[in-house]
Amino acid sequence: MRELELFYGPQHLGMVGNFSITLKVEGDRIIKADANPGYLHRGFEKLMEQRTWMQNFPLVCRINVVEPDHMELIYSMGVEKLAGIEVPERGKFIRSIFCEMARVGSHLFGLWAYANMLGFDTVANWAMYHRDLLLDLFEELTGARVYHIYLRPGGVRRDFPEGFTDKLIETLHKIGGKVPDYNTTFFENSLFKQRAEGIGIVTREEAIRMGAVGHTIKATGMKYDIRKIEPYDAYDQVDFDIPVRTDGDAYSRLLAIRDDMIESVHLIFKLIDKMPKNGAVYTKTPNPFKWNIPKGETYVRCESSRGELGLYMVSNGGNKPYRVHFNTPSYNHGLTVLEKALVGESVSDVGNIMISLYVVAPEIDR
Amino acid sequence: MTYAVSKKGNINMELLKQKLLSGFNGLDIQLRDDQRMFISTEKESILSLLSYLKNEGYEHLALISCNDWINQEKFELVYILSAYMADDNHYQEKEKRSIILKTNISRKVAKFMTITNIFNSAEPYERELHEMFGIIFEGHPRLTPLMLEREYEVPPFRKDFDSQNYVDNTFGKIPSIAERKEGTK
Amino acid sequence: MDRNQIRKWLKNLGKMANKYSFHVVYFCTGCGIIEIPPSITTRWDAERFGIIPVATPRQANLFLITGYVSTKTLKAIIRTYEQMPEPKYTVAFGSCPINGGMYYDSYNTITSLDKYIPVDGYIAGCMPRPEAVFIGVTHLWKLIDMDKADGYKRYREDYTLYRANQEQLFGELGWPPLFQNEKYKYSNSQQTI
Repeated sequence: MRELELFYGPQHLGMVGNFSITLKVEGDRIIKADANPGYLHRGFEKLMEQRTWMQNFPLVCRINVVEPDHMELIYSMGVEKLAGIEVPERGKFIRSIFCEMARVGSHLFGLWAYANMLGFDTVANWAMYHRDLLLDLFEELTGARVYHIYLRPGGVRRDFPEGFTDKLIETLHKIGGKVPDYNTTFFENSLFKQRAEGIGIVTREEAIRMGAVGHTIKATGMKYDIRKIEPYDAYDQVDFDIPVRTDGDAYSRLLAIRDDMIESVHLIFKLIDKMPKNGAVYTKTPNPFKWNIPKGETYVRCESSRGELGLYMVSNGGNKPYRVHFNTPSYNHGLTVLEKALVGESVSDVGNIMISLYVVAPEIDR
Repeated sequence: MTYAVSKKGNINMELLKQKLLSGFNGLDIQLRDDQRMFISTEKESILSLLSYLKNEGYEHLALISCNDWINQEKFELVYILSAYMADDNHYQEKEKRSIILKTNISRKVAKFMTITNIFNSAEPYERELHEMFGIIFEGHPRLTPLMLEREYEVPPFRKDFDSQNYVDNTFGKIPSIAERKEGTK
Repeated sequence: MDRNQIRKWLKNLGKMANKYSFHVVYFCTGCGIIEIPPSITTRWDAERFGIIPVATPRQANLFLITGYVSTKTLKAIIRTYEQMPEPKYTVAFGSCPINGGMYYDSYNTITSLDKYIPVDGYIAGCMPRPEAVFIGVTHLWKLIDMDKADGYKRYREDYTLYRANQEQLFGELGWPPLFQNEKYKYSNSQQTI
């Protein structure tokens, strides 16, 4: 049979995000895949060297458009490490609640993308509606739906307004009460099982060799989560579990995502119960126009909804960073793991595998 | 940001430090109290040091980065390693740690060995460093451009590349349609 | 509904059929793609305005450029725009296509989109809310009624100037010019690649 070269390019109905793959196919089976990123490259690391420490916050949240809160969190943690700033107690709890809300919203967006790709439009519409209810809460707290700029070195920008926790609990009950419907319509549907079982298998040895993190490795049985390994903020004061599966195919990854979302909803209830009632929410930082951070370098990491997120930052004693380098989870998943998982699969399953690996294109290009 | 460091964790880091100092020459090791170990070394011993640490259990290559110290005319390559979980249900002290290896190469003739034989996931990191800083990695299977669409005289992430100047000369010099119309009339 | 409205609609049946059924090309170009799924799904329903996404540019007549444009994406945008049949409209989101926006000193993003393909209107916001997208579309209806949404006509008349700008940025373009000889200025048909 002959070999053909296809472009699964940026303008394609099966592609979510601005990303392109070059496929070599023989009939319907893929022989070789070459990922082609760079459509969204803005050169963040060069831009951030020319703005001061506080001026970088509007830039840093635009690296991952689906879930910008963990990017603000990791940059704040890096600046706090270099400058030696501590976060007060109530600020730590508010940060954890905020990041868990962002995690639930990001999983609902991933469910929309996956259900839309397979053709389950009812479940996709439900998921987008519930994410919109969370975005209404974000708008009341911070003023914007998508790019919040709420976290800062030393805590958060302002405290919760009156009655916010009651509204939050009511919204989470609405989302949690719909989970049995999600189960019967999507996760226990035999059509979904036929389309996702045995597709895109990544075994434990391959995942360790290729540097996979997040749900790709949680679907092989390892409970690798930075919230438990190196606890930050308020995660060491509450009790929660990391859900895992054992098979390593697209079905296991989606079920691990669903269990992670349910666990986050329960975690927010526990955090609200334990939060101290009064207290400061941020420590004062110097005048942002004249803030010089002493010389040093650091490496910090946290757990975003896609996996382990890391930041390597170097300061030269001035008022601007000297070198900033983000280690995003989609970098390995979209470039190394995807090229290996696509070999031998059919052309009609490419979008399926790409979204089940939870790849977001702007995180690869930065 | 305080990390709870147990005495046992520190003892294990000290043990690793002693093992490395006795096995290799020319190392400079610093232990910080937030579970980070900084190792500075010569460029000839990087490959053997990485294989040794991979056998000790640090199998996850987190990042390969580069600092451009233009005043001292050198590039500083940075390799960051961490560990996966050995036991699926229990968390151990080893997984908290990250080891940061640093080495210097010359800035005028920027060349180095590739580490894709040891760590398979290093391939896209080295491709990106090649096109952003201009470093050539000998033995790399596929050193083609990853993200950029065109070639630049000076690689873009070096400190002597002025991006505002580049924007003014390339995008700013293209006239708008109304200006072109007046020019042809 | 009274008889005057029916008479108004029937006066220009072609424009009414064009306005009230925009088909949007499915191409996620930039940041603003985060606010398109809420616009299409049930909470802020876009189908009551007649907007649905379609698979190929040959079936589309509205092109939404959602945010900043890098040089690699600009090549794909020009090829997609040239494959759309006429009449076609372009709407850009945010301030990045106007003057570079937040990435004004980035070596990889262009500073002004109007130099390469014609843009009919801009919607403010970073990113614009779904309600702002709908206000932009209803404003485009008014422009179509007044005959001011003529981006595609400008592209046809000044094609040599647009092509000169594209070649000054990219060097050698990989595809032949869209309009080959002078006859296209006066005829209704379009010679495509």
